[in-house]
Amino acid sequence: MNEIGDAALVALLRRQMTHAVARQVVAAGNLANIDTPNFRAREVDFDVTLNHAVAGTLVTTHPDHLTAAADAPAGPLTRETAGAPVRRDGNSVQIDRELLAMTDAAGDFARAQTVLAAKFRLVRYALSESR
Amino acid sequence: MSTLNAAIDASASALAAERARIEVAVSNLANAESTRAPDGRPYRRRDVVLSATPVETFDAVLGRAGAIGVAVAGIVEDRAPARQRYEPSHPDADAEGFVSVPNVDPAEEMVDMVSAARAYQANLTAISLVRDLLQRALELGRG
Repeated sequence: MNEIGDAALVALLRRQMTHAVARQVVAAGNLANIDTPNFRAREVDFDVTLNHAVAGTLVTTHPDHLTAAADAPAGPLTRETAGAPVRRDGNSVQIDRELLAMTDAAGDFARAQTVLAAKFRLVRYALSESR
Repeated sequence: MSTLNAAIDASASALAAERARIEVAVSNLANAESTRAPDGRPYRRRDVVLSATPVETFDAVLGRAGAIGVAVAGIVEDRAPARQRYEPSHPDADAEGFVSVPNVDPAEEMVDMVSAARAYQANLTAISLVRDLLQRALELGRG
C-alpha cells in the first residue's frame, strides 16, 4: 500500500517532465538554426543521460565492470542527430522532424502533468478533510 | 539547467535573425536598379551571415542539453560583379555606353524571402508550443 504523497511516483513524473522540457529546448534550438550554415541538428542522448543518472546507484562487483565517471554532469546530454541528411550548406535541420519532436515532447509533458495534477488533487482532497 | 525560458529565448533570437534576412532581401529588391549608392558606385547586393550561439553558455561548455539560439554575425556585400547593360542615354553610362547595374537577381531575393518567412513561421509555432507547456506547468499550482 502506497502512502498518499507517493514521493517515488511524484519524483518519476518530475523527471519525465524534465526530460520532455530538455527535448523541447533542444528542438527549439535546432529550429532556430534552420538557416545557419554548417549547423548540425542535435537531440537529447537518452541512453547516456540514463547511464549518468543511474551511475550513482550502481556498484562494481567485478574488475571488468565499467565504472561511471565521477564528474557525471547533472543535466541531459545531447548528441548530433544520427542519419540526418546534410544539405549543401552543411546544415542538417529538418523542419518537420523538429516540429514533430516538439509536439511529441509537449504530449509527454502534458501526460505527466495530468497525472501529477491528479496526484496533487488527491492530496488536497485529503488535506481538506474530504470536502 | 535547460528551462523553457531558454527555448523561448532561442526561438526569439531566430525571429530576429529571420526578420533581418527579410529586411535585407527587401532592401536588395528595392535597390535592384540603384546605380548610385552612398559611396557613388552602384548598389551591391547584401547577404546576412548567421551563426549559432548558445543561449546558456555555461551549459554549452559542460555539454549539457541547452538551447542554441542564432545571431546575425554580420551583413556582407555580395562580391559578384555588377551587371553591365547597354544604355547610352543613361546619365551613369560610361564612355562605351554601358551602365553598371546592381548584381541583384529578383528571383533569388524572392526565394530568400519566402524561406525566411517560413522559418519565421516555424519558430512562432515553436514558441506557442513552449507557451502551452509553461501554461500546463503553472496549472499544477492551481487549486
